[in-house]
Amino acid sequence: MSTRAKELIALGAITLFALVFYFGKIWGWGTFEFPTWLSMVVIVLIGLSLLWVLILTLKGQLIERRVVFIYVAFAVALPLFMSFSQKITISPEVYQLHNALTELPAGSKVLISFDYDPPSAPELQPMAESIIRVCFEKDLKVIVMGLWPQGPQQANLALEKVFEDSAILAKNLQYGRDYVNLGFQTGNEFVIQRMGSSFESMFPSDYEGTPYREIPLVRNVRNFSNVDFSVNLSAGFPGTVEWVQIAVDRYGLLMGAGNTAVQAPVMYAYLNAGQLEGLLGGMSGAAEFEAVAGYRAKGTKFMLSQSFAHVVVIAFIIIGNVAFFRSGRKSKLKGK
Amino acid sequence: MEHFALWLSAFLTLGILSFLYKDNPWYKLSEAIFVGISAGFWVVTLFWDNLVGKFWDGWQDEPMLFVGAALGFLMLLRLVPKIGWISRWPLAFIVGATSGLWLMNYLASNIMVQVMATIQPLFSTGYASGFDAGWGAIISSLVIVVGTFTGLVYFFFSKEHKGAFGGAARVGIFFIMITFGASFGYTVMSRMSLLIGRMDFLLGDWLGMIG
Amino acid sequence: MSLPLAATHPRLSVHLFFPIIVIVLTTCSSAFGQSDTQLDTTVVDDTVSIAAAPVTTLLVEDGKYDDGDSLRLFWVPSIDDQLIDSKVTGYRVYRLVNDGAAEPIVDLLPGVGNYTDKNVELDSSYVYYVATLTESGEYPSIHTESISPQREWINFRRGYLFIIMMIISAAIIFYVETAKRGKKLFVRKIAGLEAIDEAVGRATEMGRPVLFIPGISDMDDVQTLAALTILGRVSRTIADYDSKIFMPVSRSLVMTAARETIKTSYQAAGRPDAYNDDMVNYVTDEQFGYVAAVDGLMVREKPATVFLLGAFFAESLILAETGNSIGAIQIAGTARPAQLPFFIAACDFTLIGEELFAASAYLSGEPRMLGSLKGQDVGKAIAMITILLGVVAVTLSEAWGVGIMTDLHAWLVKVFSSS
Repeated sequence: MSTRAKELIALGAITLFALVFYFGKIWGWGTFEFPTWLSMVVIVLIGLSLLWVLILTLKGQLIERRVVFIYVAFAVALPLFMSFSQKITISPEVYQLHNALTELPAGSKVLISFDYDPPSAPELQPMAESIIRVCFEKDLKVIVMGLWPQGPQQANLALEKVFEDSAILAKNLQYGRDYVNLGFQTGNEFVIQRMGSSFESMFPSDYEGTPYREIPLVRNVRNFSNVDFSVNLSAGFPGTVEWVQIAVDRYGLLMGAGNTAVQAPVMYAYLNAGQLEGLLGGMSGAAEFEAVAGYRAKGTKFMLSQSFAHVVVIAFIIIGNVAFFRSGRKSKLKGK
Repeated sequence: MEHFALWLSAFLTLGILSFLYKDNPWYKLSEAIFVGISAGFWVVTLFWDNLVGKFWDGWQDEPMLFVGAALGFLMLLRLVPKIGWISRWPLAFIVGATSGLWLMNYLASNIMVQVMATIQPLFSTGYASGFDAGWGAIISSLVIVVGTFTGLVYFFFSKEHKGAFGGAARVGIFFIMITFGASFGYTVMSRMSLLIGRMDFLLGDWLGMIG
Repeated sequence: MSLPLAATHPRLSVHLFFPIIVIVLTTCSSAFGQSDTQLDTTVVDDTVSIAAAPVTTLLVEDGKYDDGDSLRLFWVPSIDDQLIDSKVTGYRVYRLVNDGAAEPIVDLLPGVGNYTDKNVELDSSYVYYVATLTESGEYPSIHTESISPQREWINFRRGYLFIIMMIISAAIIFYVETAKRGKKLFVRKIAGLEAIDEAVGRATEMGRPVLFIPGISDMDDVQTLAALTILGRVSRTIADYDSKIFMPVSRSLVMTAARETIKTSYQAAGRPDAYNDDMVNYVTDEQFGYVAAVDGLMVREKPATVFLLGAFFAESLILAETGNSIGAIQIAGTARPAQLPFFIAACDFTLIGEELFAASAYLSGEPRMLGSLKGQDVGKAIAMITILLGVVAVTLSEAWGVGIMTDLHAWLVKVFSSS
């Protein structure tokens, strides 16, 4: 059979699979969950096959890169069907952020800057949701904004999600009085700089077009001095680094941060120097924050997949190194 | 409409993932749609947020905006080859303003505060009695102090890396590489999170197989 | 906060003589060591069973070195504010704006003796008083004088920051001038630089193009500028070897700057006719849109050499990995610490952090760049010496209590905390 034919068959199989389960969803098949024995069997099979790959590598037979992709795909997808729960150990910096928020007196104003867009949402959205929920539970006032164009939309999604909780809904929180979305402003770090003297100059109106002066929650918020705490959810530039350098170090704003895991290691320097009041790093940070706050949401749910994927990656790092030391790295330049 | 949006999202997600198999027309189509839409999104966002939202709606209250608008206009002169050089002025303004802002911020946040955070006693707690401090604290202090110092040595360009200085630089690069290892681990986590997010969409939102 | 204003009015009359009694009594009690129980018996309002003395010595001052947006209040807490069996439940700060009505602005815990009001306007005048709260009511202090916040032009708290900045700036200017006078400045060898010519040569031999990616930041990022300086050298070599370059970019400004850079190199190589604008093209500002396009380009065009120099974010590994998979030689460099691991793992040569700037200074031989590199070394030397001195001082001071070291550490803290 030609490669083209195989590819078409695979494509057909994927389409059929999708159609069957999509209609299944419409017909109300419900969700699937592996029984514990099946989960165990899956784990053992994956473990054995990895061992086999290692043996092959030791024998000098290298596997194709696409095999690695398949392993990672399974490692991520299968745990989503498993019913295990994973023990989550909480880091001090996660406690620090949670405590900073919960120790604020009721009515304090918390500024949350959404400096990310949908590509980083899997890591940062669970953080956003749980941070907003903690704020509402503690009767803190939430001011959201974004230095990334899609940030305020992510904020609205997070708010919608939080309001699905009946306990939060029962508080009858009002837009403009208990929370507000100031929207997006272009200008990157210069926006933070200008906010140091006037919020209103950067956000003459909120996301919905209401003039700043007419919003009760922020009417008396002139600059960072009138905000009690802030949280920056960041996926890059502009993000936590800029907030720390301008808002924290220049204007004395108290700030905690939630970062994508890529950025987190850099932020530890700021945490260590006391420039950050707590830090959530990546999905594990989100899961830990959920654990501290005492509820299970997406961060916790995804951690099992995350851990499985990590085990597979570690296995392939070992396998890759075995292959590396067997062959010896040849420089492309010398080998030309 | 909801069905169509879900299927379109799934089609494009799988199209981009298909690159892992090999470059193919499905991927190219998804890539082209992505590039086109994102370029369009930026044009629309900048037009409505900057030109309309900031300048058009705000110039009555803040006449200074005309200065910015004028600089922006000068930038467009690049389109006229004969006077294109004028566009360097706004560029100079951007570079100058950014440098001015960052010079102080970097010096304060990334140098002064970090140097201060590095200055810590090598023997922690129970100082008066000398060396009875916890080993964990001592090692942690040593790592921070030695790591920062030798890292600085590595990035010192005025002296050849020879002798004791070279030795310190080697220790420095050792620390830097360990940092990179930690960073690598974190990034693997980040990338996996993105994949988990997509899997959750495909298996959950799209096919309804998981809750 | 929620206490209605009317509730405070009946006690306004108390304002006039109550403070006088309290001041006299406070003075007496501190002079003769009388217990505060005596004070209770002299409270004017006899309808109240749990009375307390108001705060004393209430002072207000303008917030130092600010934008005219803060006023600071200090007071001596009520003498009834005790750790054990305290009658005082807290303090409430009242404010009269422009001689208007008194409004409560904040409730504070017992034991607190200061408050900074950050919600003040430049042109308004403010009068404050602090009420001592008890279970039965509140006992106001005397009013402060009227005060308007002032804006200061210079923040003298940052004096040391200014001095350090001046030292570094002076060093940069000194070295730039030295370099301009033709004196050769020493910069240590940077691994990876020699590889540039070789890598371009390899592309020429293989008849395949060179791909140059200047990061995804705009021209306001110094890393992009460094990348474009290196591009000058790379494109000159490409022009000399008659090889091909293509450069997709994600910022329109970078596109025009890169075109100029390459054009200048081709002119310098005496081959202006070989240059065309299509060597550099704009893709999109959107990060992953750009990556998707560049990935596709790499796989289709199969460049022999890939340069990844500039500011990179999440796309670094995707780009470097794709470049690696097509077997290209990759020379990378960025000052984004988070992205360096991937370049080190997937590329043949990596300029780590500041090496990117050093390389661009070294390659261009430009006195200004070389001078600033040397000037920054002075900054690093200051940091290294400070760290060494500081660690020795604080260790000797804390472990063995060496007095002079305590002073030295205190001084360093003062200097480096001035930011």
